[in-house]
Amino acid sequence: MAKRKNLKPWGVGATVIAICGVVLFPIYWMILTSLSKSTELRSYPPRFLPHDPQWGTFSELLAAHPFDVWFMNSLKIAIAVLVLSLTISVLAAYALSRFRLKGGQSMGLFILTAKMLPGTLIIIPFFVIFRQMGLIGSLWSVVIAQATMIIPFATWMLKGYFDTIPVELEQAAIVDGCSPIGTIFRIVLPVSAPGLAATSLYCFVLSWSDFLFARTFVVTSESLWTLNLGISSLKGEWITDWNIVMAASLMASLPIIAVFLFLERYMVGGLAAGSEK
Amino acid sequence: MATIEFNQVGKSYGSVEAISDFNLSIEDGEFCVFVGPSGCGKSTALKMLAGLEETTKGNILIGGKDVTDLGPGKRDIAMVFQNYALYPHYSVRKNMGFGLKMRGYPASEINARVEEAAKILELTPYLDRRPKALSGGQRQRVALGRAIVREPAAFLMDEPLSNLDAKLRVHTRSEIVKLQRRLGVTSVYVTHDQVEALTMADKIVVMKLGVIQQVGSADELFENPRNLFVAGFIGSPGMNFFRGTIQNAEGRVFTTFGGAEVPLSDTLASRAGGDAIFGIRPEHIVMGKGKVETGLSLVESLGTEKILHFQIPAGQTIDNSEIENDEEDDDRDAQSMRARIIDDHKYQNGETVKMDFPRSKIHVFDIETHEAIK
Repeated sequence: MAKRKNLKPWGVGATVIAICGVVLFPIYWMILTSLSKSTELRSYPPRFLPHDPQWGTFSELLAAHPFDVWFMNSLKIAIAVLVLSLTISVLAAYALSRFRLKGGQSMGLFILTAKMLPGTLIIIPFFVIFRQMGLIGSLWSVVIAQATMIIPFATWMLKGYFDTIPVELEQAAIVDGCSPIGTIFRIVLPVSAPGLAATSLYCFVLSWSDFLFARTFVVTSESLWTLNLGISSLKGEWITDWNIVMAASLMASLPIIAVFLFLERYMVGGLAAGSEK
Repeated sequence: MATIEFNQVGKSYGSVEAISDFNLSIEDGEFCVFVGPSGCGKSTALKMLAGLEETTKGNILIGGKDVTDLGPGKRDIAMVFQNYALYPHYSVRKNMGFGLKMRGYPASEINARVEEAAKILELTPYLDRRPKALSGGQRQRVALGRAIVREPAAFLMDEPLSNLDAKLRVHTRSEIVKLQRRLGVTSVYVTHDQVEALTMADKIVVMKLGVIQQVGSADELFENPRNLFVAGFIGSPGMNFFRGTIQNAEGRVFTTFGGAEVPLSDTLASRAGGDAIFGIRPEHIVMGKGKVETGLSLVESLGTEKILHFQIPAGQTIDNSEIENDEEDDDRDAQSMRARIIDDHKYQNGETVKMDFPRSKIHVFDIETHEAIK
């Protein structure tokens, strides 16, 4: 029995290390490739530790390509999608959670259908609509398309969180003289910080990783390319500098890590602890 | 401080009537308790008074002003919720001062009032803590503090003690009553616990299925229940009931219990020959004398007092559905009666004892309407 007890933490530790290894290896490989010389990339056997780190790859990338433009376009789109999606999702989720709407449950399920359709299918009607609206070649087309795909699931995430907040908290605020809108901003949203943080991260990651919408709606205007579109253009017809591609990918990943580190402090469950018995 | 009036208030959800013909007048400074089994509409009535539920009929007046169509924030009431509903992201100080801040009071006055309320409720050391760092009793006091700093016209409390353990509940119960007496604020308190109702209230409103059954003081309800439901609901253990026929022979008005005569008030002579339901409280049964003789089926000793159980004679039982009590709350065994006594006799299970049902303590109820017969 004692032996089994001692084995348990080892087993758990080994499993965690194995899973982390599988998840983190591609990231490690990306870092390793970005720091390698292009001549070393196809060497056999492969090197698993940096031999002679090539930091110059990053400056080469920044000098040869409009990385800053791609970055800013991606950032503008992600922020706009985040603001638009959260604003609509918060209000929709609150309504679905708190009000007994006629057909509310069916409506809740219905909004998920937009999420169920594959992007490649929904992109055709989007293209037709945006062309009629004159939005092709504008970042707004990407923002609207991404938000349409993100809002349904974000609404469900937030509804699930709002459902866990006792309605008496809002009633107490209303009795205390707070207006219904004030109650949302002063009580519901601060208490929902973990849910909002998780939803924000979901919105940001999905927006940041989009390729399809940007490739379809803004590919013709090079000044509007996003990071993913720009990185895809680094692949040559005959030769690809994988160290440059990986350096770009590594730099493109940094904002997601930064956003996660910023939101992580809010993603602590149980903020509502102590409000009740 | 203010009077509260409900005039013909009703509430329905579609075709379901949750509250009907609710008429009640609460005096200034009075402590009124709504009591009744689950689903009787007591919390709905309180929420209508708070403005958290709309009325579908009638009107509500606070301090003589019709507040039926006013929002909760404009009724000048403060409410303590069953689960406290403290704002988890605010400190105790901010929780208590929130209502004043919403009403635009200057920070210095908010602080002074919060400090004063904290002193009364012994919360001063905890003012800068968040609710999650407090015990259940402390959270309950913060909820009370949030109500009293506002100095409202009325306090509304929705089962505020139900989440506390038994010992703390008894302590907090008396603290709330003392606080209410000290502040003199009209208070409406909802509970399903009749002990809370009896010990705290100036006025008790007993409810069943959205209808007021009786309004009165603890003594009035205990001594003169208006119907079978109130008689069975108020008192612990509840009133004993048995079925019988009112008889009048040779100038004696009586019924029988297992063949033994049980004398009744002479005013019932005119009803001789009719069946009725008779009730007697466990503490009113006198042991060791009288004509009723029965065997004890169970003796429960609670130290100084004892609860003696004995069978109701065949054909004289009534079932719980006739009393219409809440099945979850009712521990009544329809086949037996209980006597609650304090004496030195060592009672044994199976022992045959004599007992007396004093005439003045017998309650009589109409077998059809269940209304008390005077």
